[in-house]
Amino acid sequence: MFEFLLNPIYQGWIVQGLLLTVEITLFGVLLGLILGTLLAIGDIYGGKLAKGAIAVYVEIFRGSPLFVQLFLAVYTVPAILNVQIDHYFLAFLVFGLNSAGYQKGYMKGAMETILGDQMQAGLSTGMSKVQTLRHVILPQALRIVIPSWTNEFCSLTKSTATLAYVGLFDLVSAGMAIKGITYQILPVWIVIGAIYLVWITGFSKIMDMIYERKKIPGIELVMQS
Amino acid sequence: MTDLVMEARNVYKAYHSKIKKKEADSCGETPKQVVEAVKNVSLQIRKGDIKLIFGPSGSGKSTFLRCMAMLDIPDKGEIYLGAECLTKPGADLNKARARIGFVFQHIYLFRHLTALGNVELALRQVLKLPKEEARKRALAALTEVKVTDCINKYPAQMSGGQAQRVGIARAIARNPDIILLDEPTSALDPELTGEVIDTLRDLAKEGTTMLIVSHEMPFAREVAEEMIFYDEGKIVETGPPSLFFNAPNTDRAKQFMTRIINRTTRE
Repeated sequence: MFEFLLNPIYQGWIVQGLLLTVEITLFGVLLGLILGTLLAIGDIYGGKLAKGAIAVYVEIFRGSPLFVQLFLAVYTVPAILNVQIDHYFLAFLVFGLNSAGYQKGYMKGAMETILGDQMQAGLSTGMSKVQTLRHVILPQALRIVIPSWTNEFCSLTKSTATLAYVGLFDLVSAGMAIKGITYQILPVWIVIGAIYLVWITGFSKIMDMIYERKKIPGIELVMQS
Repeated sequence: MTDLVMEARNVYKAYHSKIKKKEADSCGETPKQVVEAVKNVSLQIRKGDIKLIFGPSGSGKSTFLRCMAMLDIPDKGEIYLGAECLTKPGADLNKARARIGFVFQHIYLFRHLTALGNVELALRQVLKLPKEEARKRALAALTEVKVTDCINKYPAQMSGGQAQRVGIARAIARNPDIILLDEPTSALDPELTGEVIDTLRDLAKEGTTMLIVSHEMPFAREVAEEMIFYDEGKIVETGPPSLFFNAPNTDRAKQFMTRIINRTTRE
């Protein structure tokens, strides 16, 4: 049943697929964090136009399926613009842009719980708004946002299954390839599922540890996401 | 006249509190309510002055103090820090605030930093001091307010009195021209106010220029050169403590003093 696991070729496919899944997720979440933070700041301090643009952005990326976004980015947009862009790069970009739509909300929520008094305090010492954001607001917001960030990571990891539809070789693609040759449908998906489970659980545990270590002493930060 | 540290000229500030239509209907108020917290208030503070503002809560004292530090921007009027007009467009408010120490009623320490970190941050970021120098000055400020026992504690691990003294250290570490204190003891338990008052007394002895919003009457009597009775967005009466403790000129000040002194003696 599980003999396919001993085949070096299949092993190679699984490793290759897992690597892509891991890479796209990590880079996607990271780009999402950076972009999401900027969007959150823009949404709090920006003018009406900026706020409106950010709202449209968020609704587009949260409101449409990731698969459709991925399809448009990989096939449609390059065709219209008549350019060749690396599919891996485009996939990474879509995951980042998509994640930013969610992470903007997490960051904004976290920042708003801090902004009132801490911004006042920062300004009162002669720091500028930007300095206060950088040295007071963001260090606290990033700590609060870690649990939401962990959730985002879990959900994005599983979304990488959509990569198979645009011809990129992720973990699900590896499973489909092996299944197509061996016909061991159930065992293959059990193995693939288990790999997801181990990777996500392990990474979440690491994030929980970071959260505990970075927690501001004496303060219980409770953020539901 | 050259020793003028700060001046407020006809400062006016109003809040527009928007009331939701439903609530407005039920309590019969207009949907938009204007609260005039500061109505054309003028005040001069010279080097070494210790002035104390007191008056009923909700009368706009804190708003006025926040306007002085430009933490609230006045609608009308001017604020001067030395010769510099802070209310004119293009004024460098960050630079100005670096020369003004501010102590908050609810303390507002940076929650993710230790006592030392709280005091150091502005020294590093605003005064751009090198690390060693900033640490030395932060420690000196924390020693001055006598909280050396909790330099490595985070705000949530300190008592209210310790936290507020760290707040004062954060305000004085930059050697500001003036320190504005917004009811520095009113959020503290009665037994903790003493230690904060002691710190303020020390600052007074050193000749620190201070504008304090407070109802600590024994303290006011001891250190204030001038007391300012503030009510309904206006300065009603000013004078030395002896005036207020004996016979204020206005009825409102008289009533308020009677009430506050009765309360103090009952305690």
